[in-house]
Amino acid sequence: MIVTPRILARLVAIAVGGVLLQLSFFSRVAVFQTSADALPALVVVLGLLGGSMTGAVAGFSIGLLVDCLTAGTLGASSLVLLGVGYLAGLFRERFDAHGSLVPPLLCMGLTLFAELGFGAVQAMLGLEAPVSVVVVRDMLLKSVFAFFLAWPTFLLVRRVLRPALVEEALPRRTRRTTASGV
Amino acid sequence: MYRKQVRRRRAVLAFLIACSFVLLTVTFGRSGGGLQEGVSTVFSPVQGVADRALKPARDLVNWFDETFEARGENGRLEELLAAARRQAAAGQVALQENAELRGLLRLDGDPAIGAAGFRVRSGRVIARSPTVWHSTVTVDLGSGDGVAVDDPVLSGEGLAGRVISVQPGSAQVALLTDNSSAVSAKVVPSGVQGVVEPDIGDPEDLILDFIDSTRSVRRGQLVVTAGWRAQGRASLFPANVPVGEVTRASIEEQEASQQVHVRPFADLANLDLVQVLTGGRR
Repeated sequence: MIVTPRILARLVAIAVGGVLLQLSFFSRVAVFQTSADALPALVVVLGLLGGSMTGAVAGFSIGLLVDCLTAGTLGASSLVLLGVGYLAGLFRERFDAHGSLVPPLLCMGLTLFAELGFGAVQAMLGLEAPVSVVVVRDMLLKSVFAFFLAWPTFLLVRRVLRPALVEEALPRRTRRTTASGV
Repeated sequence: MYRKQVRRRRAVLAFLIACSFVLLTVTFGRSGGGLQEGVSTVFSPVQGVADRALKPARDLVNWFDETFEARGENGRLEELLAAARRQAAAGQVALQENAELRGLLRLDGDPAIGAAGFRVRSGRVIARSPTVWHSTVTVDLGSGDGVAVDDPVLSGEGLAGRVISVQPGSAQVALLTDNSSAVSAKVVPSGVQGVVEPDIGDPEDLILDFIDSTRSVRRGQLVVTAGWRAQGRASLFPANVPVGEVTRASIEEQEASQQVHVRPFADLANLDLVQVLTGGRR
């Protein structure tokens, strides 16, 4: 990804918009008593499109913003989401996988990773209350929701960042030549 | 060239991980300070606008989910209705008696809240934390409305949580389901006291812990705040605010773990309007 000031502004807008949408909409809508977490999916998509460095920086920034707005311990969400972004970017750099199921499956897997990561960080900071087994159902459902959120997120973010994507440059029109040379 | 890129990438990753650990270490167990307050102050008006703009979409999705759930709830509610009818008759008598006593004592509003010197401020939830590990909401009331850290927060049905951070136009509330939450409470009418803690991950289940295992608690009994006051210290919450209803109280669990399960009255998963109790004698 070629990051110019204009693209940086778009990245910031995507991050802020994503966080606001998560806190004001997804976190407050319950389906099967579980709310979706779209932020790991957003970070995965940014990592897939921009590479490991973009993914890590985006994950860190989005995590920091979430921690600031929810009065959480600063650094907790950043640590988890930067790992998610880095892994997504690393996947793009190491494997040449472009199937249509790649973004949804990666979002699903890394959302589960993120939920486990949030739990691990909270355990590291000291859990002061017992943990219900329902939390396992919550993690699995969040991963399933991420699968379905991945494609719209991927398409939207790719559209916004298209000018910066090296692989997305419009193909030059070439005149097709026939066997007779006409 | 490629190796240089890899080295730079790893350096950035190491730097960000180090930043995260520094932030965790510096802010662990206390407020995030100026950064958190500044960001919240800047974003609270935007969150308010986003909350209003997204309300129709939220209501639509929640309507589908609630309709689906309502079908399962129907049978249970019919049983509850039969029990409620029996209690209603007794309740009418108590209400009449209550009205007479209020008239005698000239109390205004809720006796528990009024007696503790609290003022009620009504507000709206404008954001909610995304994970079950950290259960907070942001409300559109702030220090400008007299809200302060540790103020109790109620929903229409009962206790919802307490304020943990305040900015001029907004405040963050740790719900009863947040892992840092602990509320001293008692079971009525038996008077058994304990501490209400979350069962992390389950918004419909709380645990009343550290109860006296020699005294029995039964399913269906009410749990209200204890509101204790001793040696110059006092509970953050006024006494007798409804918290929930005992849903599971096996003798084995009471004797072995000194705990019973409580279903909160407040719909903590779908909070919209809340009341913050400001001021008060603590």
